Amino acid sequence: MTNIERHNYDVVVIGAGGAGLRAAIEARLAGKKTAIISKSLFGKAHTVMAEGGAAAAMGNANSNDNWMVHFRDTMRGGKFLNNFRMAELHAKEAPDRIWELETYGALFDRTADGRISQRNFGGHEYPRLAHVGDRTGLELIRTLQQKIVSLQQEDYAATGSYESRIRVFAETTITELFVEGGRIAGAFGYYRESGEFVLFEAPAIVLATGGVGKSYKVTSNSWEYTGDGHALAMRAGATLINMEFLQFHPTGMVWPPSVKGILVTESVRGDGGVLRNSEGKRFMFDYVPDVFRKQYAETEEEADRWYTDPDNNRRPPELLPRDEVARAINSEVKAGRGTPAGGIYLDIASRRPAEFILKRLPSMYHQFKELADVDITKQPMEIGPTCHYVMGGVEVDPDTAAAAVPGLFAAGEVSGGMHGSNRLGGNSLSDLLVFGKRAGEYAARCADETTKRVKVPAATLNAAVENALAPLGRGEGGENPYTVHGELQQVMNDLVGIIRRRSELEESLGRLADLKERIKKVGVGGGRRYNPGWHLALDLRNMLAVSECTAKAALEREESRGGHTREDFPQMDPDWRRVNLVCSLQGEDVRLERKALPTMRSELMRLFDRAELAKYLTDEELADFDAAAEGVAASGGSASNSAAVGGADKGDV
Amino acid sequence: MADTITLEVARYRPEQEDEPTTQCYEIPMRREWTVLDGLNHVKDRLDGTLSFRWSCRMGICGSCGMTIDGDPVLACETFLTDHHPGPVRVEPLRNFPVIRDLVVELTDFMAKLPHVMPWLVADEPPPDTEYLQKPAEVDEYQQYSMCINCMLCYAACPVYGLERDFLGPALIALAQRYNLDSRDHGDHDRLEILSAPEGIWDCTFVGECSRACPKGVDPAGAIQRYKLEAAKRTVRSLLLPRGRR
Repeated sequence: MTNIERHNYDVVVIGAGGAGLRAAIEARLAGKKTAIISKSLFGKAHTVMAEGGAAAAMGNANSNDNWMVHFRDTMRGGKFLNNFRMAELHAKEAPDRIWELETYGALFDRTADGRISQRNFGGHEYPRLAHVGDRTGLELIRTLQQKIVSLQQEDYAATGSYESRIRVFAETTITELFVEGGRIAGAFGYYRESGEFVLFEAPAIVLATGGVGKSYKVTSNSWEYTGDGHALAMRAGATLINMEFLQFHPTGMVWPPSVKGILVTESVRGDGGVLRNSEGKRFMFDYVPDVFRKQYAETEEEADRWYTDPDNNRRPPELLPRDEVARAINSEVKAGRGTPAGGIYLDIASRRPAEFILKRLPSMYHQFKELADVDITKQPMEIGPTCHYVMGGVEVDPDTAAAAVPGLFAAGEVSGGMHGSNRLGGNSLSDLLVFGKRAGEYAARCADETTKRVKVPAATLNAAVENALAPLGRGEGGENPYTVHGELQQVMNDLVGIIRRRSELEESLGRLADLKERIKKVGVGGGRRYNPGWHLALDLRNMLAVSECTAKAALEREESRGGHTREDFPQMDPDWRRVNLVCSLQGEDVRLERKALPTMRSELMRLFDRAELAKYLTDEELADFDAAAEGVAASGGSASNSAAVGGADKGDV
Repeated sequence: MADTITLEVARYRPEQEDEPTTQCYEIPMRREWTVLDGLNHVKDRLDGTLSFRWSCRMGICGSCGMTIDGDPVLACETFLTDHHPGPVRVEPLRNFPVIRDLVVELTDFMAKLPHVMPWLVADEPPPDTEYLQKPAEVDEYQQYSMCINCMLCYAACPVYGLERDFLGPALIALAQRYNLDSRDHGDHDRLEILSAPEGIWDCTFVGECSRACPKGVDPAGAIQRYKLEAAKRTVRSLLLPRGRR
């Protein structure tokens, strides 16, 4: 019988990025015995790569900013498909989470008078991103990591053990969740270093595993991003929503090929960088969609004035939401106006002095100098879209982050709904702080309320061991995991990419079905000790499951919205805005169901102009809106609305 | 330029061998490839059992530190062309026990981390919203906050190679990151550990740490600066009554 190390915890957090660490801190602060499972080394999670900043309406850079403006921007960015309650909580709580992070020791860039500096980003009405140069993610991870270390010192003082209340299991991968009697009972996985197995029994588990980008060939994501949490949730009986919406970040490096996909921060554009095609034309002015026409400049002169006088000018179209910019770049390249390496130019060299660029974008300078031998203070960068973020994820209760399975929670990129069909830059770091905290808090409560803890039966455990060992058992005679992974990435890149078509999506489903069979036959050589081939073999079925969700949902949704563009259905369709596509597993296959979106509370709805709502809502919804507005007018006008949503809205658009 | 280049990779598979061995892999010589691209080519195409750590490919996660032609570097920032025509010798980071192939044991750093108290030590409750900190005050410590925990400075440090108790370059720089932060009041608490034998005084100021640092943190500078500060404090503690130190 294989040896299995056993642990008992109140709360187990799977994932050690921003959401996971924030959740773990909250669970520990609530007095729960908490485990953090980290797929990579502690402090190396994907959050460390985040560059631009965390969006929070603190109003430091522009006092007109407040949560209502942030809420509106978030809903617009997501093309109104967002879970409104998540967007509301996020906008309201982000400033507190940033200030709290500062008490943990975080460093932020400052205004001249010593307040937290805020920078411009695509889709945000005002400068809103708290940041540290262009390495905000590193500071966030380091701060949370060191907060956990400080809590461990308190625990040592109280109990004589550093790890009595919060323990980090580094380089540990979870392969199964266990559900017994209809609720979460535990998680099973292996240590990368030794290949030994480990069981965590716990009444509450928080998924904070991040995204799915490694299913794509060109991605900004690192090797950990294999959709583990998404797949674990589905196999445990939970549901995923919005899986058709993937964010292709408009500016990834395209040259040299070895770094293709690596992120070039949106801050380059926020700080004055512009996009040009091979003819030197600043083409984004040609791609402002009607829904955003009112908020974006129509001439280069106006756009350039905005950087210094944002109150009297409209924003440059380079700062449209990411989905719009990515599609525009795609069209320019397709029309033959791309660069030699198949991208377009991102130029800040001709727009800002070298000292400014070095001060504001030091990591970008370094990255291009080291990786591409390009001096961004003198030359333009070559960039193109790269798979960056999955809007879709575990369907959760907005207030508690609880998934459909009792005891299971999800926060950060692995959860769905917050960002609708497209996430605004800067809303990810704030999302993972806001909902990481909430997930930790409610997981702790759940552990409290679970009086009877269920054990994981031996047979279930044995099956998990057998599954994990299978690729080693098949040995090198089986399918090569790297080959299968490469083919999966190619299928997703070519057939379920930025621009989608029915025929290609149908083809992708056939190809994925073939790959699913081949994954069952994957075999690897070597032993259990730090064997990367074995690790990949176990990640493959997760990538396949999330890819199937994406392809199926993309085929079903016959419209274009945010991170889902159908060439055969190029318009947004108000009827589709009312629908979430919900994925679950039936046996081995992904099942798709249509489910109505929750209806936005009317006082939130009234934060928008009717003219703007008309671009998104059905006639029926607009009639309801008008009827409600008349009711408000009759009972004393808009003052009651402002009061209902928490104070006067100074930031009207 | 030749079509291929040879990577001479140190292998250690404890399940089948007692001593590290060397394995040569011939890989395409591409102008734009880093050593990490070369290693990933080996893993994906030639030998799926080769173990090494990596993640971001952009020099920010600090996972892919290794010894390349004798120097501690990040594999994602080391170009094959700079080591042409090869062979390129790839070994694990020095001064750390090897787990397998290029993967080393790094728990010593995490175990020592709390010693320097890398968090804000406040003597009053935090503000309701934010602290006030001027850009010039941020400039005082920002450089020391750039550390990506890649361990290159420990691999480069001759003292750490001999004295396992030595706090080491990155941790002393981290202590200074908080000591010099205007929001922090923990410098007195950190003095004890920093001025203990395994703190700053172990450092013989060879400066290898600062040369190895891929982020310009300059731990050697931090140590030198703190030595001066610690000496002043020691003199003060001998001469002055406690209240005026």
